[in-house]
Amino acid sequence: MKPFLHAEDLERHRESLVAAYDPDRVRITVCGGTGCNAQGSVKLVAALRDAVGRHGLAADVEVKVTGCHGFCEKGPIVVVRPANVFYVQVKAEDADELVRVTLKDNAIVERLLYHDPASGTRVVHEQDVPFYAKQTRVILAENGHLDPTSIDDYILRGGYSALAKALTAMRPEDVIAEVKQAGLRGRGGAGFPTGVKWELCRKQPGADKYVICNADEGDPGAYMNRSEIEGNPHLILEGMIIGAYAIGARHAYIYCRAEYPLAIEQLTRGIAQARECGLLGEDILGSGFSLDFVIKQGAGAFVCGEETALMHSIEGKRGMPTPRPPFPAQSGVFGKPSNINNVETWANVPLIVNRGAAWFSGIGSEKSKGTKVFSLVGCVNNTGLVEVPFGTSVRTIVEDIGGGTPRGRKFKAAQMGGPSGGCIPAAAIDTPVDYESLQALGAIVGSGGMVVMDDSTCMVDLAKYFMEFIQSESCGKCIPCREGTRRMKEILDALTRPRRKEGGVDALLRMQGLMQLEELAETIKTTALCGLGQTAPNPVLSTLRFFRDEYEAHLYDRQCPAGSCKELVGAPCQNACPAGTEVWRYVAHVARGEYNDAFRVIRDANPFPSACARVCHHPCEKSCRAGASGGGEPIAIRSLKRFVVDRVPASTYRPLARRPGTKSARVAVVGAGPAGLTAAHQLSLLGHRVTVFEREAVPGGMLVGAIPAYRLPRERLSAEIEELLNDNLDLRTGAALGRDFTVDGLLADGYKAVYLALGSHQSKTLDLPGEDAAGVIPGIRFLKAYNLHGEGLARGRVGIVGGGNSAMDAARVALRQPGVESVTMFYRRSREEMPAYAEEIEAGLAEGVAIEELVAPLAVHTKDGRLVGVRFQRNRLSEPDASGRRKPEPIPGSEFDAPLDTLIVAISEAPEAGLLDGLKLTKWGTLAANPESCLTSRPGVFAGGDVTTGPSTVIGAIAAGKRAAMMIDRYVNGKLLRVLPKVKLPSVFVAPAGDADDEGAPPAERVRTPHLPLAARVGNFDEVELCISEADACGEAHRCMRCDLEFTQPV
Amino acid sequence: MEQASKVQQVIDRFERAGRDSLIPILQAVQHEQGYLSEDAVASISRHLAIPASKVYGVATFYNQFRFQPKGKYHILICRGTACHVKGSAKVLDAIRKHLKVEPGRTTRDKLFSLETVACMGACALSPVLCINDEFHAKVSPAKAIKLIEACRELEAARPAATA
Repeated sequence: MKPFLHAEDLERHRESLVAAYDPDRVRITVCGGTGCNAQGSVKLVAALRDAVGRHGLAADVEVKVTGCHGFCEKGPIVVVRPANVFYVQVKAEDADELVRVTLKDNAIVERLLYHDPASGTRVVHEQDVPFYAKQTRVILAENGHLDPTSIDDYILRGGYSALAKALTAMRPEDVIAEVKQAGLRGRGGAGFPTGVKWELCRKQPGADKYVICNADEGDPGAYMNRSEIEGNPHLILEGMIIGAYAIGARHAYIYCRAEYPLAIEQLTRGIAQARECGLLGEDILGSGFSLDFVIKQGAGAFVCGEETALMHSIEGKRGMPTPRPPFPAQSGVFGKPSNINNVETWANVPLIVNRGAAWFSGIGSEKSKGTKVFSLVGCVNNTGLVEVPFGTSVRTIVEDIGGGTPRGRKFKAAQMGGPSGGCIPAAAIDTPVDYESLQALGAIVGSGGMVVMDDSTCMVDLAKYFMEFIQSESCGKCIPCREGTRRMKEILDALTRPRRKEGGVDALLRMQGLMQLEELAETIKTTALCGLGQTAPNPVLSTLRFFRDEYEAHLYDRQCPAGSCKELVGAPCQNACPAGTEVWRYVAHVARGEYNDAFRVIRDANPFPSACARVCHHPCEKSCRAGASGGGEPIAIRSLKRFVVDRVPASTYRPLARRPGTKSARVAVVGAGPAGLTAAHQLSLLGHRVTVFEREAVPGGMLVGAIPAYRLPRERLSAEIEELLNDNLDLRTGAALGRDFTVDGLLADGYKAVYLALGSHQSKTLDLPGEDAAGVIPGIRFLKAYNLHGEGLARGRVGIVGGGNSAMDAARVALRQPGVESVTMFYRRSREEMPAYAEEIEAGLAEGVAIEELVAPLAVHTKDGRLVGVRFQRNRLSEPDASGRRKPEPIPGSEFDAPLDTLIVAISEAPEAGLLDGLKLTKWGTLAANPESCLTSRPGVFAGGDVTTGPSTVIGAIAAGKRAAMMIDRYVNGKLLRVLPKVKLPSVFVAPAGDADDEGAPPAERVRTPHLPLAARVGNFDEVELCISEADACGEAHRCMRCDLEFTQPV
Repeated sequence: MEQASKVQQVIDRFERAGRDSLIPILQAVQHEQGYLSEDAVASISRHLAIPASKVYGVATFYNQFRFQPKGKYHILICRGTACHVKGSAKVLDAIRKHLKVEPGRTTRDKLFSLETVACMGACALSPVLCINDEFHAKVSPAKAIKLIEACRELEAARPAATA
């Protein structure tokens, strides 16, 4: 091409390009960014070209490879323009159908459209995809349209017009003034005003000046610069040429990571094209201004993101920083005045020159102008590049654009700014993203990495990860950074790892370490030489600021709440079980067909295996790695347990007899629920003589009183309880605290300790007039009346207020009672927020329970002392509050009356206050007990289970009972009531079951637990959930990833 | 030796080069022979008239340079934040155990070399693994091992190379 000698030549060329361009021509644009390439877009392009040729469309249709579209999650992305039909995850095999249906039949390939999970519909056009709809694309605007390998395409779309304008109509000072007025700030880190920086460099004496583009995107978790270069290289070149003109520089460097080969290729080609057109080199566009360009490949050193280090690297030295001053503007690369800016900063310059400072400063927030590209990655549904105006909230980015966190996990924090940045915790999710607001939270905009983390990410582990990174990237020049970061990493290592000894000096040293961590961090911050070092402690300081509780859990309890620190967690299933069941072990036994061994493992940790196999809320499955990082579904652990307990007779397990050499004592246990019976059983095994007092005629507590027989058959439960009794254990039913005996009386009778496991039996009331009318029944009373005495209290149209498990139990029990016409649950929040277990809700709905969500009762209508109906008001969910939760708020005028014959109030339960006289209560009305020692405010009186926690889970009560038994044993033996927390790692080797080859590969999907057909459930209390078959159990157990094998060795 | 003359050819492409060409030369040599041999470092030092110790000092500073030949299959594992959050540590662990090789090293049969990289810039596909410049997205430990075994099978199926 003939070089343009003047700006007019460029314009004339543009006009000829525009004249030849047909905007209505069909163009299939395929994303050629790194993300889509990795997912097969190169093959796809070939296949599309092939298909176009085969259908005889070669003359009318152009297949165009463009830069990154940003929605990398769904790559490869294909957009058919001008209609903008948006296809996602297109494979080479789909090419033929895509071309045939879209271009020949003028229809749409439904299955390749984007499926919006929020609305459940398929989206046809690019602009309607929620991911794009909420973005403001300025820098990335051309990415999906432009062929990055063609300078003509860039010129056609207005490229280099800003350069022509600057060179012909503006003095260098005018350009600087425009950039200053626009309020452009550096996009690479601290956000220094770009215009001011340029001015400093311009004012330096000497003709030899340099401009440098920092494309050494070293922040892990950020890749926007890569896509900006790969998608639109000329935009950056144009910005740099304008900048060089404004500053008066003759030389330009682009320092680009060697890890970005495609970016380097695009830049090299772009520079050659620009030079050929006379847009680079001597006397650009006849203005007398000259500039030469060199690309330098970075060699993989994070510290080279620091400007002085980067300049040393350009000079061919080790990339080590030097103290400032002198600033690069005074003495930079080769000792000459230099100006360095980030890729995205340069990319903004042509836009500002073209459209004016006023346009630019109209976007963004008060002090942060323009847009910013973020790489939204980590635990978020729509990963990719997101461009939004400054001031957009983190919530908008993560929830609206990013589509929230996957698998229904909870958003925990967003890490921003890479290793120099910090975290935005969930509580601050409404923070507007701009330089000042983020700085106030200890984070930075940085280059724009935004790594989303959910509740499976451990913040201590994250801090450790960053310290490891910084420590290995520290250049070693100054001591605070070189040594300090190493020490910080050692402290974090000690926190996340068990020691040979967990007590004594070791524990003390660990404690001291944490105290010094903060001090060390502050020292490094104030004394390190360069920006990298000074910001190195930020990840630790930031996580300590917002997630101190997690550090404390690691330090004091030796627990990782997120279940992520391998050496504290061991097998995640075992770690998640409150009772510490060795889940991995019995699953392994099931896979080997050793069902008796499996049963022993289950029973060893849990005296209620059969009950838990049916009603446990299985936290083990939530943490199962086959479901979390394995990408599939968790093992159906509860179904496996059910298979084992249904098959193996309980007598297979024989508990070990009492330990010799300890004192035995008389202990009273009040309440024969899971907590009380567990404690009593464990104490009896330790040789103590235990008396269990139970108010009802049958033992079992809530297991028998509240949980209906269709979930837990009574004969299974009573057989299980029967197994727990022995010579040391005396069970007295029909003996009620307060009526038949008192705590004082028990202690006076010679019981050395009393364990109160009373449960939470008092249903809370609605506090509405008329609630005492006939037909209004507290939830627990309703359940007990049927479960314990066979009385069906529900009739006619039944309403249930509440959304928890006892509300759902009440609903399904009512449904099975004679004389009931309909059952409707009324819940004040949305259905998704109902605390009842998802499988219970589904079963209830299937059986015919109706759910009215977002309603609150206002008044109870009565006639002659009998309930006739309830007035409800509809709620809507408010804007999220500080904790991120949406509160229900009433909609005025939405009142309605529901005619009801029975109203069951199951909103929550509390302990019966009258029984707890003289003992300290918590502010929630539960009995106060020390979580470590289980001791109440009265010596010798222990407590646990629902009476201390409020209504909770069965396995939680069992764990409480086990702990109480241990503490009571220590108490009667005069030992200190504390034990050091111990890390429980898998310690028994179970050989993996036979090779998969023998039995075929394990099934790919989770087993579906069979249920009683709906028709067979009507009017009876037969068990609904059924047992899986032996073949299914074996297959399911084979799916286990055996996390335990990392810790055990064959004997 | 053939290898040495090739390296020399690469170096000779940089005529009248100064200190600022050191890193580009190192990159070009590594591109040619896959790593930086002792001889190559010495040749570069002669060419640029910089002490070999300085050349070595610069080369060891940057993560890009290796001093051991690459394996036939070069495995790069991204350890960026996004990949970390999605479990790349477990993937790395699994490969280390499977191949019995540490990052930066090559297996004895010279078939595999393992390297970690701070961030590959493909965060949307995390965790990412790259075998001989081919990207593999959303890799689990099991998938990583499968990929490695696929390479092994490919080797086994190939007729034995001339020894």
